[in-house]
Amino acid sequence: MAESNLGIEPEVLKAIYGQMARIRAVDKAIQAGLSAGKFMFTYWPMTGQECIPATISQLTTERDYMITTYRGIHDQVAKGVDLYGMFAEALGREGGVNKGKGGSPHISDPSSGSMVTTAIVGAGAPIANGLAISAKERGEDRVTIVNFGDGATSIGAVHEAMNLAGAWQLPVIFMCQNNQWGEYTEIPTYTASPNFYGRAEALGFKGVKLDGNDPAAFYKGMKEVIDHVRAGKGPVFVEAVTYRIGPHAGVGENYNCTKEALAAAKERAPVEKTRALLLEAGICTEDELTGLEAAAKSEVEDAIERALASPVTPATETVVDVFADVDSVPKRGNYPVRAAEGELPGETKTMSMVEAVLDAQTLAMDANPEVFILGEDVGDPQGGVFGTNKGLQTRLGDRRVRPTPIAESAIIGAALGSSIAGMSPIAEIMFCDFMGVCLDQIANHAAKQRYMSGSATHAPMTIRMQLGGGMGGFGAQHSQSLEAWLTHVPGIKVLYPSNPIDAKGLLLSAINDPDPVVVFESMMLLYTQKAEVPLGDYRIPLGVAKVKREGSDVTLISYGWELLNCLAAAEELAKEGISAEVIDLRSLVPIDYHRIFESVKKTGRAVVVHAAVEFCGLGAEICSTINEELWGKLKAPAVRLGADYAPIAYSKDIETHQVPSLNSIVARVRAALKS
Amino acid sequence: MSTTLTIPKLEMSMSEGTLAEWKVEDGAEVKEGDVIYILETNKTSRDIEAPAAGKLIHKAPAGETYDVGTEIGEIV
Repeated sequence: MAESNLGIEPEVLKAIYGQMARIRAVDKAIQAGLSAGKFMFTYWPMTGQECIPATISQLTTERDYMITTYRGIHDQVAKGVDLYGMFAEALGREGGVNKGKGGSPHISDPSSGSMVTTAIVGAGAPIANGLAISAKERGEDRVTIVNFGDGATSIGAVHEAMNLAGAWQLPVIFMCQNNQWGEYTEIPTYTASPNFYGRAEALGFKGVKLDGNDPAAFYKGMKEVIDHVRAGKGPVFVEAVTYRIGPHAGVGENYNCTKEALAAAKERAPVEKTRALLLEAGICTEDELTGLEAAAKSEVEDAIERALASPVTPATETVVDVFADVDSVPKRGNYPVRAAEGELPGETKTMSMVEAVLDAQTLAMDANPEVFILGEDVGDPQGGVFGTNKGLQTRLGDRRVRPTPIAESAIIGAALGSSIAGMSPIAEIMFCDFMGVCLDQIANHAAKQRYMSGSATHAPMTIRMQLGGGMGGFGAQHSQSLEAWLTHVPGIKVLYPSNPIDAKGLLLSAINDPDPVVVFESMMLLYTQKAEVPLGDYRIPLGVAKVKREGSDVTLISYGWELLNCLAAAEELAKEGISAEVIDLRSLVPIDYHRIFESVKKTGRAVVVHAAVEFCGLGAEICSTINEELWGKLKAPAVRLGADYAPIAYSKDIETHQVPSLNSIVARVRAALKS
Repeated sequence: MSTTLTIPKLEMSMSEGTLAEWKVEDGAEVKEGDVIYILETNKTSRDIEAPAAGKLIHKAPAGETYDVGTEIGEIV
């Protein structure tokens, strides 16, 4: 039959069906295997949605990027993820595409262009923007397609990502597979605005609604969409209408769908309809289709058989892939000795910490065109709210220094996606208190991408955050010290310099590190600290603490702006004849227990001081480790001093009393010496 | 390759199931898709189909409740 009658080339339709048959074979084998207890893993059925990825597969290649969700097994199959690697992954086996560490909801297979699979609804959209930034900046004609369900349109991350993609005209397709259900909750229970594609128009870019169950119509519509995006005409939101013929999760009978709705959906199901069309149009014979289906079934059986034979990924792999280097992982009994920075360049210039941060960024951006800054108000004339980027946008342009919407999830996601593609973004989110609105991107995605992908991907991104604590007058939502939020999430490195020299050297290390690194910059220090900062590129290694003052009676361990209070306290204690050694941790993850122990072995006493809340703070962790490892060598138990358990108050009196001060540190040391 | 049969986890909240009745005798040949036993959970009763063809070996008696993942048979 001619194309004019079908609306699609016969060979293309046949190829689409070929992918549908593979998806169906995978779906059936999973459902059968799970139902019979042949194997066990968590499965979110995608039955009924086969046409969408099967059709897209005929319009894209492995060079095009894809992000999908835990339900996206159909997307993985059509994208070209090796079925053995996919099944072995779902079964947690060594042979998995991600070494069995990600599992079925976290497939990453860069060789096929399947970059990220998230189990957090809607969270892929901000990351897709980052992949799209890399393609656009590199002049590549790749498109990035991010798949999500209609349920994801309710979450903020999708809105933030769509707004940013529109503002920056990114080559990204928001592929909303509208299967009519947000998990167990149906439209219209969860929204009064089911006109999903219309939301793109509201954000200033193109939105289309297509029949995701009709391969000919969907192919035609998607061809226009992909041509548009590939040509650099900006993002498109596609609402692909389909129906999920199965429950949200598992293979049990827990579907809320009515029998009538299910029957109607089955009437419209794409696999059977497309098969019938191929026969009716005389494109394929029954024998050809049976052969094609049998080949798909045997490909799947072979993949499952080999996957079941692959060994379960062993516990010896536990801390491998957390970071690029396993020694950065904090682990009881493993306290690596890391070389310090050595002699720094001799030529110096007096710089404030603001200028030191600017100098580091300038050097990094001049050395590597793929380093770029993004964040709220990061451009000139202010050069960032704290002035740390002053002049960079003017000199390097607004592709290298990108002021963003006020949307922290979009900022971190864009940084993350571009870093997965190999760029070196620096995301500035201003006050660390704003972490609360992007913690999913940091903790669930940036921190875990290397591990979940078994190092098939990694995220060499830098996040700069400022802290307002200690300045006074910023109130409870701009004064917190939240480093423990991050140190508690495996996979993210955390630095906290106390002076301009370290700030520059640590930031340069962070930008060049293969893992995501958060650098805390205290406002107290940005504006008050000046130092003779070495010129040119130098690095302060991660995980190397520094003795700032030698002493013999007690070790004060601190970081950031409280380090200054510790130095002042040491001065005060010296007047009483108490000799305090002061250690600046500089790097919280990786942490330098080696130098901590060397000092405490000498003094026999330790006091850990931080501006963060004492309860469940980093001080508790450090004290506990000292007390365990140096038991018998201590003159007194290691103790900690942090902020009182209260939000930071606006009252100057309360704030200065609730966080450690010169006086409270001195008092705590005196008490430690008495015990 | 033989296929191990365990009590399946049909959904995330399921922790145990009852092997109510074997529908195929121990040692008999089965085809893929044949109903081999009936599984009862706190929600439903369900026919469990053979995921492969071969000789069915019973490894656990009917009428008992088992934890999800317990091996109850094999198809060789």
